[in-house]
Amino acid sequence: MHKVFLALARFMAVIGGAVLTLLVLLTCVSVAGRVMNTALHGEWAQSLMPGLADRLIAMGVGPITGDFELVEAGVAFAIFAFIPLCQIGGGHASVDIFTSKMSRSTNRALQLVIDWIFAAVLILIAWQLFQGMLEKMRYNETTFMLQFPVWWSYAASLLAATVSALVGLYVAAARVVEIVSGRIILHGQEGADA
Amino acid sequence: MSNLEIGLASFPVLMGLIFLRVPIGLAMFVVAIGGLYAVTDGMAMGLSRLKHETYSTFSSYSLSIVPMFLLMGHFATLGGMSSALFRAAEAFLGHRKGGVAMASVGACAGFGAICGSSLATAATMSQVALPELRRYGYSGGFSTATLAAGGTLGILIPPSVILVIYAILTEQNIAKLFLSAFIPGILAAIGYMITIAIYVRLNPGAAGLREPIPYAERIRALLDVWPVLLVFLLVVGGIYLGWFTPTEGAAVGAAGTGLIALLNRGLTRHTLVQSFYATARNTAMIFFIVLGAALYNGFLALSQVPQELSQWVVGQGMSPWAILACILALYLVFGCLMDSLSMILLTIPIFFPIISELDFNLVSLAAMQAEAARDVLAAGVPEGMGAEMLEGIRAAIAGGAELTREQMDALGIRVTQVMANRIEAEEVAIWFGILVLIVVEVGLITPPVGMNLFVINSMDPKTRMIETYKAVLPFVASDIVRVTILVAFPGITLFLLRLLH
Repeated sequence: MHKVFLALARFMAVIGGAVLTLLVLLTCVSVAGRVMNTALHGEWAQSLMPGLADRLIAMGVGPITGDFELVEAGVAFAIFAFIPLCQIGGGHASVDIFTSKMSRSTNRALQLVIDWIFAAVLILIAWQLFQGMLEKMRYNETTFMLQFPVWWSYAASLLAATVSALVGLYVAAARVVEIVSGRIILHGQEGADA
Repeated sequence: MSNLEIGLASFPVLMGLIFLRVPIGLAMFVVAIGGLYAVTDGMAMGLSRLKHETYSTFSSYSLSIVPMFLLMGHFATLGGMSSALFRAAEAFLGHRKGGVAMASVGACAGFGAICGSSLATAATMSQVALPELRRYGYSGGFSTATLAAGGTLGILIPPSVILVIYAILTEQNIAKLFLSAFIPGILAAIGYMITIAIYVRLNPGAAGLREPIPYAERIRALLDVWPVLLVFLLVVGGIYLGWFTPTEGAAVGAAGTGLIALLNRGLTRHTLVQSFYATARNTAMIFFIVLGAALYNGFLALSQVPQELSQWVVGQGMSPWAILACILALYLVFGCLMDSLSMILLTIPIFFPIISELDFNLVSLAAMQAEAARDVLAAGVPEGMGAEMLEGIRAAIAGGAELTREQMDALGIRVTQVMANRIEAEEVAIWFGILVLIVVEVGLITPPVGMNLFVINSMDPKTRMIETYKAVLPFVASDIVRVTILVAFPGITLFLLRLLH
């Protein structure tokens, strides 16, 4: 069971990382295009090789239209896709200087409550994202430059947010099993506490 | 309860949750939803915010710089640049007393120029520098403390994730903040090196010595670091010169360090996946805090707490410098307990309105007018200006008095109080940002919960935590000295900004 969810979380992280890398490359191509376009329009290129410069511009050497819209949509998906790995590894920043003085069982109970609240919050986020998506569908909102429906980006993020909620629920459930059986299932937290 | 009381009551609740180990982002999220419920008497407001706030926070174009900088930092660790930097710094400094430790600090500074995170800088440089330090007979605690302190240069020297967050929270220009962080960052590196020099003289047993190496070899070692220099200049220079936006700069930097890693064969399928994992964990952690803070600050604004609080503080009639000192001291205390990003997100929306209400006299109207007048007069006395008028202007400049409207009209310049106020506001915001950046970074190396200390200490199992704690105190002292100097002389931080604008 743990292997399945860990693999799922890792898979999402790799997909998110791949999307992020694509956005990095897209942005670089766009920047390079813009810089070259400016250079081709510049005095130097226009006087030395007017024909070639204009032909290159006509071929579409220039910034990618609406690149920032793709970055916004993509990075939102990537961040939602990154949450499961952070969740399953207990990677969220917390202050443990006071609880480290408490007993082991108190800490376990505390962790149980925290993870259930976290699961509830992740479910709430996914659910409200779904509601938000329905709103965007209803109003047929599109992006400014590329004119694609905004709800597409919401849908992509919703997919990743749903996985986050599932992983959140799994972590919370695993805490119950840990307390009942006394086994340690989630290893990440132990390391972070040391 | 009034809205203001609900807002004020949320502080102890939030702190209680955080101290009960509730993740900071989650604590802010829950308190914000609860607070909105109390203020608006129902769940509708909190829920409707969530419909779009999560997506708009995660899809923010200016915040997308954060995962890109993180990816850039992880690629940088794969590129073998850390060892090239260390070799170069070691070639020049290694033969001095405490030289290998100084070289570690220098290499950290270099690595900080292509990495926006302290933990990544500390962890990466430790892999290279710790074995070398041990080989030259440096004591364990001193080695780990040096690297923990050096690691904070990752954030102090631009690019820096924390500065990006500060810029977004306070609506300041990222390029100007990066520019202003530069001199304090260099001062930090120099301060650490001086600390090392003093430390090894007081504790001769803590370090060994080695022979100087010839200059030809030093130059060769220096040439190996050109990719780092190239990426740094491209990213920070490009952002500053307006070739691209900060987000585009981060993308260029990530591609650049990725390319270096690829060419040095550091980037394989396995390491790529590992850097995705690390980027995923850090990004998710940061954005969950950002989301919680966005909701919490929205709730606070609704309850009027920041406005009322800043008016109350200003109304106390305390000296602005005393208030600034209190705020910075508060950061030092909190830094012992909390990570830097959470602290910034939690406190800046409350402290920044206070600071911007205060008058630090960084900019004087008379001095600005005098400068503009001198520029005009240097090009020759304007035609038709009477001798009496000229005399009056010269006297005003010499006496440090403000020019009258007629005098400015005669010169053809217009420097008003409004302009001076605008520049003052920007300078205070940038100066305060850099000061906060430094004090929250001190938190990374203050016992008992300095994150850098943990990271480095876990990489050197032979050294006990207590030895690292002891050896890091001189570095903390050097940080405090530096903050004091930068507070007393705002001109140091603002030097590059004033020079170039």
